[in-house]
Order: sequence, then C-alpha cells, then structure tokens
Amino acid sequence: MTDSTGRGISRRSTLALMGAGAVSLATPWVARAQAKAIRIAMPTILSGRVAQLGLSSRNAVMMEVEKVNAAGGLAGRPIEMVVRDSKGQPQEAARVARELINSDGCELMIDGEASSGAFAVHEVARDLGFLCLHTNSETSSLSADPKLRIPNAFRCARQGIHDSVVGGSYAAAIAKAKNLKRWASCSPDYAYGRDTTAEFMLYLKHFAPDVEVVAESWPKLFQPDYTESLTKLLQAKPQAVYSALWGGDISAFIDQANIYALFSQMTLFAVNLADYTALTAVKNLPKGIHSGNRYLKIFPATPQNAAWADAYRAKYNEYPTNWAWQNALSVTFLSEAAKKANSTDGKKLAEMLHDLTVTSPFGEQGKVTMRGEDQTIVDYAIGWGTTIPTEPYLTDMQPGNWAQITQLETEWKKSKGYT
Amino acid sequence: MARSSALRDGLVALAAFVVLAILPYAVGGTALPDFVIRVAAFGLFATSLNLLAGYGGMISFGHGMFFGLGAYAFGLLMQRAGLPVPVAFVLTLAITAATAAVIGAICVRLKEIYFAFVTLAFQMLIYSLIISWVGLTGGDQGLRGGIPRPPFLSIDLSNHTHLYVTSCALLMGGLLLMRQIVESPFGYTLRMIRDNAARAPFLGIPVWRTRLVAFVLSSVFAAAGGVVMSLFVSGAYPEFAYWTISGEGMFIIMLGGINAFLGPLAGTVILLLLNDWVTRLTEHYGLVLGIVILFFALGLRKGLVDFIMEWLEGRRSTAPETRP
Amino acid sequence: MDLEALGSCVMSAACLVTQGTSGFIIGMLLFLVAVGLTLIFGVLKIVNFTHGAFYMLGAYFAFSIYQATESFALALLGAAVATAIIGMVLERVFISRVYGGSVLMQLLVCYAFVLIFDDGVRLIWGPEFKAMGMPAAFQVPPLFIAGGVVPPFYLFLIAVALLVAALLGLGLARTRLGKVVRAAAQNPGMVSALGINTGLIYGSVFALGGALAGLAGALAAPVRSLTPGMGFTILIESFIVTVIGGMGSILGALVGALMIGFIRSFGSIGFPLFTDGLMYVFMAVVLIAKPTGLFGREV
Repeated sequence: MTDSTGRGISRRSTLALMGAGAVSLATPWVARAQAKAIRIAMPTILSGRVAQLGLSSRNAVMMEVEKVNAAGGLAGRPIEMVVRDSKGQPQEAARVARELINSDGCELMIDGEASSGAFAVHEVARDLGFLCLHTNSETSSLSADPKLRIPNAFRCARQGIHDSVVGGSYAAAIAKAKNLKRWASCSPDYAYGRDTTAEFMLYLKHFAPDVEVVAESWPKLFQPDYTESLTKLLQAKPQAVYSALWGGDISAFIDQANIYALFSQMTLFAVNLADYTALTAVKNLPKGIHSGNRYLKIFPATPQNAAWADAYRAKYNEYPTNWAWQNALSVTFLSEAAKKANSTDGKKLAEMLHDLTVTSPFGEQGKVTMRGEDQTIVDYAIGWGTTIPTEPYLTDMQPGNWAQITQLETEWKKSKGYT
Repeated sequence: MARSSALRDGLVALAAFVVLAILPYAVGGTALPDFVIRVAAFGLFATSLNLLAGYGGMISFGHGMFFGLGAYAFGLLMQRAGLPVPVAFVLTLAITAATAAVIGAICVRLKEIYFAFVTLAFQMLIYSLIISWVGLTGGDQGLRGGIPRPPFLSIDLSNHTHLYVTSCALLMGGLLLMRQIVESPFGYTLRMIRDNAARAPFLGIPVWRTRLVAFVLSSVFAAAGGVVMSLFVSGAYPEFAYWTISGEGMFIIMLGGINAFLGPLAGTVILLLLNDWVTRLTEHYGLVLGIVILFFALGLRKGLVDFIMEWLEGRRSTAPETRP
Repeated sequence: MDLEALGSCVMSAACLVTQGTSGFIIGMLLFLVAVGLTLIFGVLKIVNFTHGAFYMLGAYFAFSIYQATESFALALLGAAVATAIIGMVLERVFISRVYGGSVLMQLLVCYAFVLIFDDGVRLIWGPEFKAMGMPAAFQVPPLFIAGGVVPPFYLFLIAVALLVAALLGLGLARTRLGKVVRAAAQNPGMVSALGINTGLIYGSVFALGGALAGLAGALAAPVRSLTPGMGFTILIESFIVTVIGGMGSILGALVGALMIGFIRSFGSIGFPLFTDGLMYVFMAVVLIAKPTGLFGREV
C-alpha cells in the first residue's frame, strides 16, 4: 500500500481487502474476537470512458482510509473498503449496490456513481435503508428535491446551482468592467449541461441585467467534433461564451477553437476547465480563459490544501481531480460522525451528520458543513479565476460568497417548488 | 399432437416456476432472488430477440429500444398516471406494440444488413428522444424518485419476495407464450421465410405481413423484460434504450445458441454469471469478455446449448435426422 | 427549430463559406473512415465492426509517434502503416475463420476485438483522455475567404482526404491489382481458380481499410480528445454514411459523407437541438425510397 505506482497497486490492495474479507467471513468467531472490521461499500465507474472518475475517487478514499485506520479506525473498528465496478450502467450500479450490502456484509456506502447511476443507487438506499454518501453526483435535484430525499442519504459533492451562482456573479462583474453584452453558450446536450447553462445565464442576467444571449449551441456529450458549433459561434459574433463542457470535451473544444482563433474574438467562461486532467492535457492552453475551480492545489491557498495535493501526487503520481477531493471529504465526514456518535451504526451516524462541520483542506475557511435541511455540503471552496499556460495554470482566483450563494439558492428552490 | 405438446410445455413451465419460487427458501440469502430477477429481465429480452433473429432471420441491432420503451412506458404510467400495476403493464405492452408496428412497417422489407442498420438508427433516434425530452423522461438522469407500486390482488411489488415471485411468473409465462408462437403454424411460416424469402410468395405467404407480426410480437416480450428491469432498479434510465443493450442481447443469444429455444435463457445465465464474477475480480472486463467471446466464436463456433445438442445428436448417430 | 437563422445563413456569403467548409471538414474525415468500411464490405462481404477501433488506434499511434519525433508527417505515415499491419494480422488470423459462417458469428468476432482493443489502449496509454496538440506548422491564423473563416489545418485535412479519394478511384479503375480486387468482389471462386491468391487480396483490402481509418484517426488527433472507446461515435456515423451511399460503393461513401457533413453544419444552424436526429431521419428517408442506398447494387 505504500508503493507509489498508483493504479496497479490500488487494485491489488482492493483485491487483498476482498481476500481478507473472505477470510473474515469464513471465520467469524476470530474476527469478532478482535474489533470487527467495518466494511464500506463503494460502487463506482472503473472502466470505460469515464474510468478516471472511479479510479481517482478510489485513490482518494484509500488514502484517507489509511489515515483513519492508523488513528484507530471508525469508532475503534478498522475500515475495509470494498470497491466494485458498475461500468457506468445504472442497472449494474443498482445490482452492485444491493450485492455489496446484502451479500458482502458492507454496512455503509460511499456512492461513487455519477449521473443516472447515483439515482439508481439512491433508490437502493431508499429500499434497504443503509447510510449512503453520494460523492460524485452534482445534480442539484438529488438533495434539493424533497420528493427524492431520504433520511439515510447525503451528498458530499459540489452542486451545479452553487457553481452557477458563483459563476454568474463573477462573470457579471467582468461583463460590466469589459462591457461584454453579447453572450453565447456551448454546452453538452444533457440534463447537467442544460441546467447549469440556464442557471448560469439566469444569475449572469440577475447581476448584469443588460446582457443578452445571442446564440446557443448544444453538442452531444462526448461529441468528438465541435466544428459546426464553432462556426455557429463565429457567425453569431458574441463577445463572451459560456461552456459547461468538461474533461476531454472541453479539451477538444479548446484545441479546435484555437485553430479558428476564436479566443481572439471572444472571451470563454468554462466552468469545468480547471481540473488538472484537462489543464495538463490541453496543449497550448490559451491565456485568459475564465474557469471555475474543480480541484486546484492553489485554491484555497492554504498549506493544508497544498500538502494534501502533494501527498496525493506523491502516492499516485498524478494530480488529484474534483472527484478525488469529494471522496476524500466523505471519509472525513464518516470518521468525524463516528467519533461524535462513538458508534458505526448507520442511523446514529446519519443523525450526527446533520449540520456536522468538519475541518478540511477543501473548506472555504478550512471547514465544510453538511447542511442538515437538505443533507448536502456547503462552505466548500468555490471560486473562479483565469488561465495561464503554465503551472499553477490558474491565477487571480476570486472566491465565491457563501452568504450570497445560500440566499440565491433558497430563492431558486422556491421557484422550483422544492420548499 | 400440437395440443399435447402445448400441454407438456405448460406443465414444464409450471414446474419450473414452482421450483424457482421455493428455491430462495431452500438456498437462503438475498443474492439468488436478485440474480433471478435480472435473468428474468434479460432472459425475456434475449428470447424475444431470438424470435426475431433466430427464427425470423431478422438480425436487429436496435431491439434494445423496446426494452427501454417498456421500462420508460411502465415507469411513467406508474409515476404520472397512478394506474394499477396490471393496467399499466398491459398498456405498456400495447404502447410498445403500436410503436413497433410503425417502426417495423418501415424496417421489415429491408434486407439483412440494411434491416440491421435501420433498426439501429431507430434505436439511436429513440435514445436521442429520451435524452432530449427532459420534461417527460428526466433526460440522462432517468426517471427518478422510484416507481410507486400499489398492491393489487394482494400482490405487493415493493416487497422483494413478491417482486421475485412475480418476475419468475412473468419469465415462465413469457417463455411459454413464445414457445407456443414458434411451434405454431405461424412459427413455421416464419422459419420458411427465413430460409427462402424469395420462394415464400409463390406459396401464397405474405412475407411482409408475417415479418411485421413477428417484429411486433418480439417487441412486446422485450418490453416485458424492460418492465421487470424497471421494477428491479425502481426507475428507468436512458442506458436501457442504448445500443449496448441490443449488443448484449445479440451476445447472449450467440453465447447460448440460436437453434435451441432455451439457448438465449442459458446465454443470459452464462453472461450474468460471467459479468458478476469478472467485475468482482478486475476492472478490465472488456478484455476478459473479449477473450471469452473469441473462444465461443472461433472455438465452439456456436452457442453452448447448440454445441451440446449437436454433440448429443452426434452420439446418437443412428437416430433419424431431425431439424431443430 | 430556427428556419429563419438557416435562411439568413444561406443568404450570406460569410456564413455559406464558413458552414460550407465546416461541412467539408466533417464530411471528408468521415469519408476516410467510411470508404474503408465500404471497401471491406464490397470485397469481403463482412460488416467490419472493428473499424472504429482502427480509427482510435491510428489516433493513439499518431499521438505517441508525434511525442517521440515531433514530426506530424511521420505520425501520419506511422499510424497508417501500423494500423495496416494490425488489419492484415486480424483478417488473416481471426476474421478469415468465420467467412461463410453466419453474420452473427462475424459480428461477434469483431465485437470481441472492439472490447479487446478498447481495453488494450487503456492498459497501454492509461484511462484518462489525451490531447496531442497542434503541430507548429499549423499554428497559424485562419484564412478569411469572402468573410468566412477557414483554418489552414482543415484545408490540409480536406486535401489529404481528396488525394486519397482520387488515388483509390484511379487505383481500382486502372491498375491490375484494382481489377483483381473488383473481380474478387464479384466472383471470388473464379479469381482463385485463375491462380490468384484470394487470401492475400482479402488481407490486403482489410489492411487498406484499416490504414484509411488509422490515417483518419491520425489526422483528427491534433484536434480531438483521445480516449478508449473514441471510435464508437465515428463508427456509427460511418455506418450511416455507407448505408446512405450504398454498401460497397466508393462514390456512395463520398457522397454520403459529404451529405452528413452538410446536414451537421447547416443543421446546427437550422435545427440546433435535432442535428443527430436529422441524420437518422435522412437515412431512414433514403432507405425507404431506395432500400439499397443511393449508389448500392442489389446484393
């Protein structure tokens, strides 16, 4: 487990843990004599197009679990992670989640599924009642919609609506200063892309009312070629463009936009660019693109955050991702809740998680809170900055204002009929 | 003769159902019911695909659209209309049949490869519709919030045991009906068109209509599989209507065999076992699956059940030749 | 739907030039992939599901060669040669075993290799996406023609694709090898009775198809993200192209690819939310009117 070669070793450690689990199942009396290990289930995506999501989530969880175990475990019980691949299919996510709880003896779950998979796992949690922390779903309705909410599921991940409020207010300030009135958007055509784009434009207009949207382009998710979107943008001649493309898609978009010299004519606001996977992959990263933080070593600019990024990099030989910090934080929440409850019982932990504030490198002020009313995290570091071609890739980071986020989020919930 | 074989099939299905229904009490644990429910969903789907591809010679790359349609139609009817479960089930099958009639009318007159691609195109069209019609379908997030299931006839599908027994009943009922279809005169007409489409019209067989009826019938059973899946995951997701489901169906019938009626069911069991076992051990599922496929395609050169049947037949070399 | 925008675009020279070249770019790259597919079907009578994987392999090979040598020309050449070799081996060792078998068996073998190639790429190059970066020679400002914008890199791409199309057309029509290939497509038994090694011809055609897809992948590598499984989207679009144009017809592939290119580029102005759907609708309409595709023969 101390090897630093990343992927390979973490798989081996999972296998080792699974093997250990099989032994402890076979000989329950021995296991019970010592402090019985607590098994935590983790369904996630380890293969296919977005395998990076599950791999970096697992890496982060493993790193934090090691620390918790070294400090005595979860209320005295060492943690055993059982991580399993759903291949990104919701029916597999549901199957794996049920199997981990029903057959593999897991008592808690860190749900590393994204998008539809997270909702499938959510239904399993509703059915079986175990404590579940969603770590990779950014869809606001998962926690905001009271019809979906269940007492045993929490979200430990950023949210689209938070990003949009911060992005809208940041972009409005720049729009006013530079007189950017004509806007366009180019976002992926699926629920996340549509919602965050609509919300971004809503708050942009809220803070800068004379902005108008002159064009919208909706490429498919994972579309390889953006030529028709780019030429459409060139025709519409906006002064600024918003994009919710992410990962390889935003990288290809920027590469293709570069050869049209798009950035000499308009300013790009790409909420999901500032993740190291994209920042390090894009060759000739243009200067002056505005981006929200996904995960950055320099934001929040604290020694704790930098130290965490360095430790992760030393262990896995790659930078952490947005998924990594969210999953690392979920382990912190579990261990703090267990300390307070002095128990590993899911119901007691769920009670403790309500309005629990933990010290974390990812907090805006060094702390993150699990808001009780809708069981989702707030006060995590969120902000926007501009790109530079070399490390640290982003500069001039402007943190978001959580009072403002909360106020506008409440109004948004009312408008959606969620309260 | 026909009546007695139908009776025999019915008795076999009933016996299989009874065995399945009491099996969890004998084995214990919750892993087996979950597995059998998934076998029911994919087994119905794969057998229906074999009705089309194996007996009808119509290789569809888009059969998964009816699986997805079944899941979505049922989920939406339960969530939005609040109908009793049996009514929603029957309506779902009717909606699927109507959709399949329209799509089939366009597709079934096309030849082999063109038929395959146009069905694939329709599947992608339905998939794009599900993704873009967010107001109705929830887009890529799927139907959220769980599927309500009010009890009917003292069957409560939110109880996992009830769901299990109901799934077993649907599987056996569906298999029995499909068996009757392929053993009926209609089934033999279908096989004849498959073997010689040019000659059939001279015998007064309406090729287009026969193929269309087969297309619609198989879509209805695929939708039933989709309903079982939507109950298992308590939702419907766009992945159910994606081409990968069609690909998996195709793979299942090749794995099990296309000549024996129960080949696809055996294929389903093999694929799900393989899937559950391999994903436990490695994240390189594709690599392992690819090698297993190569073994079947180049080693056995046919599905497992077909291989065993032919091997048995080879041993009984004196027995008279019978067409499967 | 935004027909007004489409109307005003068709009336403006700048928009026509920009969207028109955009259609050419999408179409010609698609042609490179689709023509290999249609050639393989025409001669070998199999639907090559691994074709998208060759596109992916070409892109990854180009990525690695470019990183090692900094030469885009070498990257293009190397990617084409490497995918040709893989194509030859694949056809001779595996695919040739299922000729004459059921279509399903051929599909299954291809599907197996799609899975193996996708996972193999992930094992070798890693699961995260890669970006190759634009070669220095093409890091130049775009050209402005009649108010429309045209990047030089895309002009190069179109030129290469046109060159390939011309060479293929001439080669099949004029050379001895081309005649043998066309004969083998018509009547393989007769060709082999004449003492010509059909196995070698089949292998070569498959290799040629693979090389064309690999070349397309290499050409696209500077502007597209490289991920395992990246071949699937282009495979589906190539199928649409070959089905519209007629399976086995090279001219059909060219016309079909350009049609899809224009549907995408002008569709994104007129029907921004239904561009993909438009392709499927167009394909369905063509097949209903002419079930063998625009240039297809009865098979």
